[in-house]
Amino acid sequence: MNRRAFFKISWGSVGIASLVSALGVSFAAILRFLKPDVFYEPPQAFKIGTPGDFPFGAPTFLVEEKIFIFRDRDKGFSAASAVCTHLGCTVAHFQSDQKFHCPCHGSVFAADGSAQHGPAPRSLDWFEVTQARDGQLRVDKNKIVPPTYRLMV
Amino acid sequence: MNLFREIYQSIVRRDSLSTDKGKSELVFLNVWLHIHPAKVKKEHMKFRHTFYLGFVTFFLFLILVTTGIVLMVYYRPFPPQAYQDMKDLEFVVFMGPFLRAMHRWSAHAMVVCVFLHMCRVFYTGSYKKPRQFNWVVGVMLLLLTLGLSFTGYLLPWDQLAYWAITVGSNIGSYAPLVGGQLREWLLGGHSVGEAALVRFYVLHVAVLPSAIILLTIVHLWRVRKDGGLSRPVWTLKKDKPQDLVTIGAPVGAAALKTSAASPSKTYGLMEVVTGKPIFETITPEEEEDTVFSYPYAFVREAVALMVTVTGIMMVSLFFHAPLEELANPAKTPNPAKAPWYFLGLQELVSHSAMLGGVVAPALMVLALLAIPYIDRNPSRRISDRKWAIWLFTIFVVANLILIVVGTFFRGPGWALVPPWVHVVAGAE
Repeated sequence: MNRRAFFKISWGSVGIASLVSALGVSFAAILRFLKPDVFYEPPQAFKIGTPGDFPFGAPTFLVEEKIFIFRDRDKGFSAASAVCTHLGCTVAHFQSDQKFHCPCHGSVFAADGSAQHGPAPRSLDWFEVTQARDGQLRVDKNKIVPPTYRLMV
Repeated sequence: MNLFREIYQSIVRRDSLSTDKGKSELVFLNVWLHIHPAKVKKEHMKFRHTFYLGFVTFFLFLILVTTGIVLMVYYRPFPPQAYQDMKDLEFVVFMGPFLRAMHRWSAHAMVVCVFLHMCRVFYTGSYKKPRQFNWVVGVMLLLLTLGLSFTGYLLPWDQLAYWAITVGSNIGSYAPLVGGQLREWLLGGHSVGEAALVRFYVLHVAVLPSAIILLTIVHLWRVRKDGGLSRPVWTLKKDKPQDLVTIGAPVGAAALKTSAASPSKTYGLMEVVTGKPIFETITPEEEEDTVFSYPYAFVREAVALMVTVTGIMMVSLFFHAPLEELANPAKTPNPAKAPWYFLGLQELVSHSAMLGGVVAPALMVLALLAIPYIDRNPSRRISDRKWAIWLFTIFVVANLILIVVGTFFRGPGWALVPPWVHVVAGAE
C-alpha cells in the first residue's frame, strides 16, 4: 500500500465512522427525546381520603384512579387495580359472586384478583395502601403487593 | 401584447402545435408525462389485469390528503377540545359532516384497496424477479396505511376512539421485552391520554404521510423502471420463458434481451452505450403494442379517479362517520373493539395474548415480506403456481374469517353472538 492509498482509506474510514456515529447519536437522542419525561396524567401515588369515607362490604370504585378500595371489618383496607390485565379495559366488581368481570373479552377474576376465566394472562394487581400523617389513606400504584396485604387502621 | 405573449411562452415553452417539434415537445416538456410514462403498452390498460386497484388506492390517498388538510383547520389535538371540534364539524361547520365522512370512508376504502391490490399482485405473480423488492416496499406501504388509519382512529376522542386505541395499543404491549416500553413511548404516558392524542396527531398528519409519500415514489418509480406493469397472465406464452424485465440484472440472471438498432428510430446517446442496458429494451414488435399515454391511458385513469371520488362522495352523502359520546376512561363499552382491520388480531388475542398478539402478526408480516424470496418458482402462470396460490388464498381467507368473526360475531364479554341476535348489555 502506498502513501496515497493509505491516507485515502484512513481518512475515508474516519469520515464514514464520524457520519455513522453522528447519525446514530442523533437518532438515539431523538428516541430518548420522545420518551416522556413529563406525565400529564393522574399521579401514580395519591391520597384517596380518610378511612371513614369508605363503607364496609362492597368496594368503592375510584373512577379517575381506576382502583377498587375494599374495607374489611376485621382485616382493614386493600386496593385492587380495575385495569384488566388482558387489554386494559376497566373491570367491574359484581357483588353477586364477589368476582371481577371484564366487559371486553369476558375475563373473570376471583375475589383475590386471580385470573379464572377468559384470556387474561395474569391476576389483577393489588396496590400498597398506607396512612399518611394527616390521617388520609394513600395508594401507591408503583408498589404492587400480594392480595393478602391489608392496612389495619 | 408582447408582454402577454412572453408570459404565455414562459409557461408553455413548447413550439406551436402546428409543427412536429411542437407536437413532440407537448409530450417531452410535460412534467406529468415525465412522472407518468409517455407511452404505455396496450395490454397494461386492460381492466381485468389490474382492476386499476393501485390507481384507486393512490386516488383514495389524494382524497385523504385533501379532506385531511381541510379538516385540520377545525381540529385541536387535545382533550376534550378535540371532541368539541368533532361536534362542531358534525353540527355547525358547513360541509363538515360530509368532509369528515369522506375522510373516514376513504380511509377504510384505502385499507381495503391496498389489500386487494396486494392480492392482485400476488395472483398475477407480479412480485417475481426483478420486482421482488417492490413487493417489500408494497408491504411497507400496507403497514403504513394501517398505521395511518390506526392513528387517525384516536383523533375524534370519542368512546369509540378511546377504547379502540386502548385495546389496540395493549395488543402491542404484549411484545416481549420492549412491549411495555414501546407502548409508553407511543402513548407518552401509562394510558391513552392527552400526550397520546398529540403523538397520534403528529404521526397522523406529519410522520406517516411523509413516509408513505416517500415510499410511494419509490414504489411507482420501480414499476416504471421494470418496464411498467407486469404482463397480463393471459398473454404469457406456453413455450416462451417469461422472465420479467431485466434492469441491472445480477449475475446469473436471465440473459438480457437486446435488439438490433431499428433503422426507423432515432436513438439517444444513452441508448447506444455498449454493455448492459440500464433500462428495459423494447423490441420493435413490442413498440408496436404501445400507445401514447395521452389520451389513451389518461382517459382510463381519469375514469378510475372519477369512479373513486364519486363512489366515496355517494357513500359519504348517505352514511355519516360515526361519533359516539366523549371518551370516558372509566366506562368501558361492552364489548370494546379495536378498528375492524385489527379485529382479526383481537380475535386471536382473545384466545392467547402472546401467540395471537405477538407471534402470529409478526409471522404474518415476515411471511408477507419474504414471499418474493421464498417463492423461487420463476413461472407466473397460474397452472404452475398451485401451491403458492393455495397458501396465499388460505392466508387471505383465514384473515377474512377472523375479521368477520371479530366484527360481527362478538357480543358483550366477547361472547360468540351472531349479528342477527340483539343483546342488551347489562352493566352490573
